[in-house]
Amino acid sequence: MADKYIARSTAIAARMLGGEMMVMSAADSTFFTLNEVASAIWQAADGRTPLSEIVAGKICQEFDVDPEHAQRGAERFIDELSQHGILLVSDEPLVESSPTLVSR
Amino acid sequence: MRTTLPTTAKEAVSIEIGGMAITLRTQNPSFRRLIENRYAGFLGTSPSSRFEFDIDLYEPSESAPADDGLEVKIEEGEWLLQRGDFHARWNPDAGHGQIRQACSPYAIDAVLRIVHSLILATQGGFLVHAASAIRGGKAFLFSGVSGAGKTTISRLAPPDATLLTDEISYVRREGNRYMACGTPFAGELARVGENQSAPLSALFLLEKGLQNRIEPIAPTEAIQRLLRNVLFFADDPELVKLVFQSACEFASLVPIQRLVFVPDQRVWDIIR
Repeated sequence: MADKYIARSTAIAARMLGGEMMVMSAADSTFFTLNEVASAIWQAADGRTPLSEIVAGKICQEFDVDPEHAQRGAERFIDELSQHGILLVSDEPLVESSPTLVSR
Repeated sequence: MRTTLPTTAKEAVSIEIGGMAITLRTQNPSFRRLIENRYAGFLGTSPSSRFEFDIDLYEPSESAPADDGLEVKIEEGEWLLQRGDFHARWNPDAGHGQIRQACSPYAIDAVLRIVHSLILATQGGFLVHAASAIRGGKAFLFSGVSGAGKTTISRLAPPDATLLTDEISYVRREGNRYMACGTPFAGELARVGENQSAPLSALFLLEKGLQNRIEPIAPTEAIQRLLRNVLFFADDPELVKLVFQSACEFASLVPIQRLVFVPDQRVWDIIR
């Protein structure tokens, strides 16, 4: 099965607060609060790193979850966010990724 | 084709809300009186201001219903605002706009709300569905959807509280603090707020319950619930981002708490 590449949409506003990432779609104002694991995937979504590598290299190591379980969870997560245009998903690397990230 | 009502020379009325004056020019004396009566207490003294609108009226029978889809978008640097009962264009850089509308207070009320929301969005402030009041030199916001208790909490306000609005609050940023300002935008109380302002001390998310208490709320939930109540009309991604950032900034500087209350006057004992 082909690997997936994910990138944060530019049509969003996001902010990290208390360990959780808040993300709002600028297109339809949908609001998401991401937990720690989802926030880690979100921050790693640079368009160049394959999803499997994000899961194996970051999620499994940082959060002590088994690879299969983590991969399934990550795919559900990116499916939901991509439906709202918040994450871009492709079978090939995505080069454009410059969201409005507001740091505190 | 729409016919224009009989007119005389254009006369200006300046309406000042949240310290922001907007001048309205109309050739129709009765409409001018209607504006002056509706916004009494918010009339500015200067004949000109940073933002001006020329108003042309058409017969109410020629307008579509007010609930016909609202559209707010920007086209080549000019905002286009339209609904069944009005059609307006506004160039914020030039500070000038035109409104074609029915001779009705509701249309101009809607235009003013939209224009203020657009101005505030670029300044870190916002309009929010909330009652607000000043007590002891501090302002408090009581926010919630319809039925949450905005009108009730306003009606229960003690004599030493100054009601700024029972429906739509005006929040302006000033450095590292926020000011709540009175608005003429009334809800069920049908009472125009006082044209006063004070530093904002807290925002309460209203919830009716069996006893009066103030509860903490997680920051992310606070921001999400605040955003649900912010009035924002524009179909413009950049402004949506600004509103999001404003809500985050607001939540970092102003306590947002849940106010569970029994609808009687004792609730005001815990609001200080």
